[in-house]
Amino acid sequence: MIKTVLSYFLMFVLLILVQVLVFNHIALFSIAIAFIFIYFIISLPLSLSTNLLLLLSFATGFIVDVFSDTPGVNSLSCTILAILKRPVFYAYVPRDDKTKVMNPTIMTIGWAAYSKYLFTMCAIYSLLVFSIEYFSFADVKDILIMSLGATLFTFIVNLALGCIFDRKG
Amino acid sequence: MRNLLNFIIRYSTGFVFALFVLLSCIMLAGRDAYHTSVILTSANSVSGGLYETSSNITGYFNLRNINERLQKSNAQLENENLNLRNEIASLKAALSDTADVNVPKRFDYILASVINNSSDRPRNYFTINRGRLDGIMPGMGVVDQSGIVGIVNVAGPHTARIISVINETQKFSAKLKDTPFVGTLTWKGRDPSIAYLEDVPRHATFHIGDTVVTSGYSTAFPAGLSVGTIVGRIRASDDNFYVLKVNLASDFKALSTVRIIKDIYKNELDSLVQYDIKAE
Repeated sequence: MIKTVLSYFLMFVLLILVQVLVFNHIALFSIAIAFIFIYFIISLPLSLSTNLLLLLSFATGFIVDVFSDTPGVNSLSCTILAILKRPVFYAYVPRDDKTKVMNPTIMTIGWAAYSKYLFTMCAIYSLLVFSIEYFSFADVKDILIMSLGATLFTFIVNLALGCIFDRKG
Repeated sequence: MRNLLNFIIRYSTGFVFALFVLLSCIMLAGRDAYHTSVILTSANSVSGGLYETSSNITGYFNLRNINERLQKSNAQLENENLNLRNEIASLKAALSDTADVNVPKRFDYILASVINNSSDRPRNYFTINRGRLDGIMPGMGVVDQSGIVGIVNVAGPHTARIISVINETQKFSAKLKDTPFVGTLTWKGRDPSIAYLEDVPRHATFHIGDTVVTSGYSTAFPAGLSVGTIVGRIRASDDNFYVLKVNLASDFKALSTVRIIKDIYKNELDSLVQYDIKAE
């Protein structure tokens, strides 16, 4: 139990560090941004209570917000992503006793379901972030283009993370 | 009471969700406020320390480019200096009995390194490694070797957050060089090298390639600092004013060393304004 908590905590710190020091400064083709810290929310076990999931997600978003001077943007997006996590997961995986306590990884639910789950989460998050950040500035077309770029980049990076963390255990 | 407690426990997820959404919205609503708590920005000690450490490692990457630009601006300044000296010498020769006019120094500069920078958002900020203890105060102007880059927004003890010129919520006063025509410099959109000079009077004359400089109407920047060059004119909604497209002089993707401008007269000027308000 303690080992699991510790490994999630290490992952949390590592993801946020890499996000604020590396990925915050990378914009592919000057539009596509990757959000790698949402891998923490995506990979938290489903056995976790929704309240705890919400708390951890809000904390993640809040810390990223403070580091990147985007107050509220990631906090709000992470909170909404957390509440949508279970419905999205069960849209691709049958709801039964086994999946109720599962960790969403490639190993446990298979490539196809995992990719679909991951892609949906990335798309929701990107759309949320850009809608909130550009709310009063840009038009819908710009928001959609940037969200699409971010979704693809985020999906690829998170899939790579999924493979890495899966192999480690 | 028990019913209420049961109700809260039963729908606790909803309450927790609503609480976090509310907190986020409060932060969102306060993000454009001028006075923000230091803890909620990248100028706090934890993120400041982290960015400082990381920039100690990555700070070497752009040095060749920066050096080249510094050499260029150095050569230009040397030229200007030489011309001015000659001019003063010839003027002194013409008016030999004029007493030495010593203009007292008004502006002081504090050097700082940019330790964190963003250029691909609508609200861009950057963080520097100097703070309140080094004399940095909110409202001070910031320039780099090419031109103006921003205004100090939040000052922590050792770090400060700067509102970049490329931030949609911040406006700067600027004018066409060697003319009295003043406009408002705003930035919108996605291109970190293009800004817009709005509210330029219709009777202003200008050419593509003309320089835009600071107006000196605020205590943040002395008059005449480079902002950028005019690259075109776009149609404005108001017929009485031009909107000019300005190519910004500074490279906001690669900010490294900046100078923070300290106006020695600031307190005096501010107290005059206060006096004025009181008199009314």
